Amino acid sequence: MTYIFELMPALLSGLVVTLKVFGWTLILSVPLGIVVALGRLSKIKAIGALAQWYIYIMRGTPLLLQLVFIFFGLPTIGVTLGRMPAAITAFVLNYGAYFGEIFRGGIESIDSGQYEAAEMLGMDKKQTFSRIILPQVVKRTLPAVGNEVITLVKDTALIYVVGISELLRAGKIAANRDVTLLPLLAVGVIYLIITALMTNQFRTLEEKYAYYQ
Amino acid sequence: MKKLMTLIMILALIIATLAGCTKSTEVEAASDSKADADSMETVEQNDFEKFIERGYVVVGLDDTFAPMGFRTTDGELVGFDVEMAKAAFEKMGMEARFQPIEWSMKETELNSGNIDMIWNGYTITDQRLEKVNFTKPYLKNRQVIVTLPETGITTLAELEGKSVACQNESSSYDAIMKAEAFVSTLDGGTPITFETNNEAFMDLEAGRVEAVVADEILAMYYIGQKGVENFVVFEEDLGKEEYGVGVRKSDTVFLEKLNGALGEMKSDGTAAEISIKYFGKDIVEK
Repeated sequence: MTYIFELMPALLSGLVVTLKVFGWTLILSVPLGIVVALGRLSKIKAIGALAQWYIYIMRGTPLLLQLVFIFFGLPTIGVTLGRMPAAITAFVLNYGAYFGEIFRGGIESIDSGQYEAAEMLGMDKKQTFSRIILPQVVKRTLPAVGNEVITLVKDTALIYVVGISELLRAGKIAANRDVTLLPLLAVGVIYLIITALMTNQFRTLEEKYAYYQ
Repeated sequence: MKKLMTLIMILALIIATLAGCTKSTEVEAASDSKADADSMETVEQNDFEKFIERGYVVVGLDDTFAPMGFRTTDGELVGFDVEMAKAAFEKMGMEARFQPIEWSMKETELNSGNIDMIWNGYTITDQRLEKVNFTKPYLKNRQVIVTLPETGITTLAELEGKSVACQNESSSYDAIMKAEAFVSTLDGGTPITFETNNEAFMDLEAGRVEAVVADEILAMYYIGQKGVENFVVFEEDLGKEEYGVGVRKSDTVFLEKLNGALGEMKSDGTAAEISIKYFGKDIVEK
């Protein structure tokens, strides 16, 4: 137990990095997801096709490969990002695609009667989307978004490939130094605590949005 | 109109991403070495003068790599190679900054300018000599074969039909593959590779592989921590080799200066002192 206690400073500084990547990705990829969903549903064919290709590439290749490509590949064409910016860019682009598909499903699930009723009330397209459609989409897609968010917490472990010391790597350093698996066990517990907090947060949100049930 | 809106939103996002990222770059002070070097005026400076003007060099290392480079519980970077590097650049009047990297990406990191050298139990091999320049060797190493006493195996010949593990992208892997006659007798005709040496050793202890091939220096550290009596190290080895510091092919003046500093450390006893601290004896190559 004292050993686990000794490990904590290193693990917690790893946790800070993990949460930083997690936070930035979440803040930036959700709006991107909305844009992607709108693009995917756009009546302009070119935009729809573009969004579809983007989703295809982002979902169709491993996130690890995207990370390597953005950090090591882009400098060859003159775009050099630092470690953290590269990691966050890769995560935002990847998760934006997944959120895009989730939101698209949400938008398509809204009954056409809602649009008609909004039109009757004299709302224009923008108002209809932001006041009528989006709130319902948020409500309907919450469970799926919660799923992605929890996956994201764990996916942040992939940034080891660009040399950033996040939580799992901090655990690995201790495991290799002290030749024991205990640090990894501690890391597992920390991940569980974060996902428990997230699960709880989403349950509260879902309850808050369940005003018609 | 809608198209325009979408475009504007995408642009705004890209800008937000970049702006958000600049903030986090400040923390990662050592990571922007390349940008700094590029922005300097292009007076005919050689590679070493550029480093001097910048005031620091970036040492790339795998910070999970005990005893060469690892972290204490307080997060402080220590290890044989870390102290060697610090001492060397102190002699050269430069600051050594350390950047953890993923080991399988080391040459890519070096040649893309993210780091200025690979200094972390980096074995000199012909294959690597095509990608980087090495300093003079500073440490001798062997590729040893480790097994558990209960297997009763003590020679390479007895490993016929058995599984052998090692770290991927390591000189241990290269050594196994070079011993073609040995590889072909293995189960599956190829070794089982892991991200780290530790994982290879854990697989050995779990009994799923019969032997591990590893750098002697690393194997001795692991065995020392776990208890010498629990392992058997073969008398045979898969080749002797040497550790050197890897630098970019273009940094020729830097290589010369670094060789000078290493030579000085060998003759004035600095290197021996660090060796005794980490290995209990002086194993530095003279």
